[in-house]
Amino acid sequence: MAQTRSFNPYTENGGTILAISGQDFSVIAGDTRQSEGYSIQTRYAPKVFRLTDRAVLAVNGFAADGNMFVKKVKQRLEWYKHAHSKDMPLKAIARLIQTMLYAKRFFPYYVYNILGGIEEDGTGAVYSFDPVGSYEREACRAAGAAQSLVQPFLDNQIYFKNQVAAPGTTHPAHLPLPDVLSIVIDSFTSATERHIEVGDGLEVYIVLAKGRDLQDFEAIRARNVHLTQELTVTEDGERIFVMRLDLKKD
Amino acid sequence: MAAAATVYNPAGFDFSNQIRNNFLADRGLPLPKATSTGTTIVGCLFKDGIILGADTRATEGDIVADKNCEKIHYITESIRCCGAGTAADTEFTTAMISSNMELHGLSTGRKPRVVTAMTMLKQYLFRYQGHVGAALVLGGVDATGPHLFTIHPHGSTDKLPYVTMGSGSLAAMAVFEAQWKPNMTREAALDLVNAAISAGIFNDLGSGSNVDACVITATKTDMLRNFVKPNERVTKERTYGFRRGTTAFTKEEIRSLVVQEEIIGVRDDAMDIDGS
Amino acid sequence: MFLTRSEYDRGVNTFSPEGRLFQGDSFIAFTNRVSVEYAIEAIKLGSTTVGIRTSAGVVLGVEQRVQSPLLESSSIEKIMEIDRHLGCAMSGLTADARTMIDHARVTSQNHAFTYDEKIKVESVTQAVCDLALRFGESVHDEDAMMSRPFGVALLIAGVDEKGPQLFHTDPSGTFTRYEAKAIGSGSEAAQSELQDKWHSQLSLKDAQIIALRVLKQVMEEKLDHHNVQIAQVTPANGFEVLDQTQLKEIIDQM
Repeated sequence: MAQTRSFNPYTENGGTILAISGQDFSVIAGDTRQSEGYSIQTRYAPKVFRLTDRAVLAVNGFAADGNMFVKKVKQRLEWYKHAHSKDMPLKAIARLIQTMLYAKRFFPYYVYNILGGIEEDGTGAVYSFDPVGSYEREACRAAGAAQSLVQPFLDNQIYFKNQVAAPGTTHPAHLPLPDVLSIVIDSFTSATERHIEVGDGLEVYIVLAKGRDLQDFEAIRARNVHLTQELTVTEDGERIFVMRLDLKKD
Repeated sequence: MAAAATVYNPAGFDFSNQIRNNFLADRGLPLPKATSTGTTIVGCLFKDGIILGADTRATEGDIVADKNCEKIHYITESIRCCGAGTAADTEFTTAMISSNMELHGLSTGRKPRVVTAMTMLKQYLFRYQGHVGAALVLGGVDATGPHLFTIHPHGSTDKLPYVTMGSGSLAAMAVFEAQWKPNMTREAALDLVNAAISAGIFNDLGSGSNVDACVITATKTDMLRNFVKPNERVTKERTYGFRRGTTAFTKEEIRSLVVQEEIIGVRDDAMDIDGS
Repeated sequence: MFLTRSEYDRGVNTFSPEGRLFQGDSFIAFTNRVSVEYAIEAIKLGSTTVGIRTSAGVVLGVEQRVQSPLLESSSIEKIMEIDRHLGCAMSGLTADARTMIDHARVTSQNHAFTYDEKIKVESVTQAVCDLALRFGESVHDEDAMMSRPFGVALLIAGVDEKGPQLFHTDPSGTFTRYEAKAIGSGSEAAQSELQDKWHSQLSLKDAQIIALRVLKQVMEEKLDHHNVQIAQVTPANGFEVLDQTQLKEIIDQM
């Protein structure tokens, strides 16, 4: 009997990512566990990366492809900066990612991308991609192992799906930053409870628009001084902070 | 005769849907996924008897189905059995053997021995050629002393001083291989079992939540349910209550569920009361 | 024969040990240098072309020399669109400009496709200039290069996030940003006139009139709506070539 053998170049390394945009901020988060089958490869493998002072990319799926993809996006951003003497705007990065993913239409990067940041008009934005480059701007998106657990929760809490507003009121189009951060953290602690591939650590990137009032953020920052670190050097442009929290390790 | 055949239920499994199910599986409709206890289960000998240990996570694929299930099953007062594999198979098999052990004890008038349970289990599993997916750690103390076995789904068995099974077996065995010694005290052995199960809980994705332990000695069995709870659920940042009226509806209808009953007398004379 | 090439004179992209370009002894290197210089000279024979930048947009003006009464002046194309936000006027060997403008158009479309944004004026200009020095003799298996430099200068006008801008390119591949620039045969007189007239408060209308006035001064024929062409790039409407009625209107206001 003829036997067909083939090498499978892909694996699935678990974990979950999510991003939520607000009026003048964007939050991008991912857990830090990397697994294969029932084994943990590492408890700290970042899935969220700062690209520019106003763009953050979360990559989930096959970790090797994800890391290589981020590396190549960063290279293209560097080239762009040299050619055009400016940082690539968020929507340009989104389109670039589409062309880079589609270029490998028949040997795809096995990754789901979520891009978050601040648009040129100062609004918070989230772009989500499929592995071959179909993309869309949204207010929120979850991807990865626990997408099926987290996305319905986000639909309900962010888009107010299946919730009727109180008489005479409407649901807000954007939630304030503290609410969004709470929802992000709760999404991950809940996913950790019920999904075996989610856990160990949580990295939350917070991108704040230029000139944004920092009062609400400073309150959060004060409560988590040792957890929150600023990644941007300038204080007059967009600012990026990263917050690191523990998740259950079982 | 045909009528008699329809009411007769033979003992054991019913295979009448096998052909249909195989056909459906070929056409791309696989059987529903059974709950499996991804599991770390262990057992070890110590100075006064046996200690069994288990984690408490049950999974359905990569979803946690039960965060605090019981994997140390009762066989007799001084024999217990940890189950890994298909949850239904381990539960059903151990319950059935438990019943048979009780009956066996009743008919012999003696405390049943661990080997008896082991033999019954392996014969049952062998008969089903691995289709009953139970991987077991059986331990207990009887008239002949403490005994510890592993029983694999196809029916093979091992008798060893320390054993592990399930997806976390390698993590747990690593701990035993490094630290187990003959004639350990109860405290030391319990610590070791806890360390072995914890290795599974933290390093194997199929295992998680709490540590269950069971200490069996000649005189007493202590079931230490949730002996250690290293994975307590954290409190949420927000409360998720919904305002009354949040859920939309298309129609409202209120019905009274109180049944109004009117009693109408049919006879004027009083009811005959016996012996009055 | 000139087969005695030293390793320093393969083309314009090679430095001599003295740190100079085109300074080798060989005929070929000498040819390259002279070639570029001659190409720059060639532009001075071209028709006069002006570009004026204002805060409201950029105006381009060209003279269309009608050498024969039988020539259809509308068939002379000296102003071309690169993209909706980019225009270009030329002077010199206008046929050479086709290659450059084709390249500019492809570059601009490619940028829009890849980045979902308009390319910057400076970036297209740079892209066009990247072509300039790809001439000379190809070395062994290198792709065949062009035989001579482009004999054309361009005024590239456009609007991007930095506002309206005007760039000038020449055959050497150098580009420079100008508030107002004249190229072609009448460029010297035209440039000094532009220097006199340009100020930062110019309106688009002012720029149109100045462009025509400058052209009128350097033209041999009498200026009318047949022998000049005006185009502009504005933030609102992008690139547009003014039609004859619009042109007449401006001529009347001169």
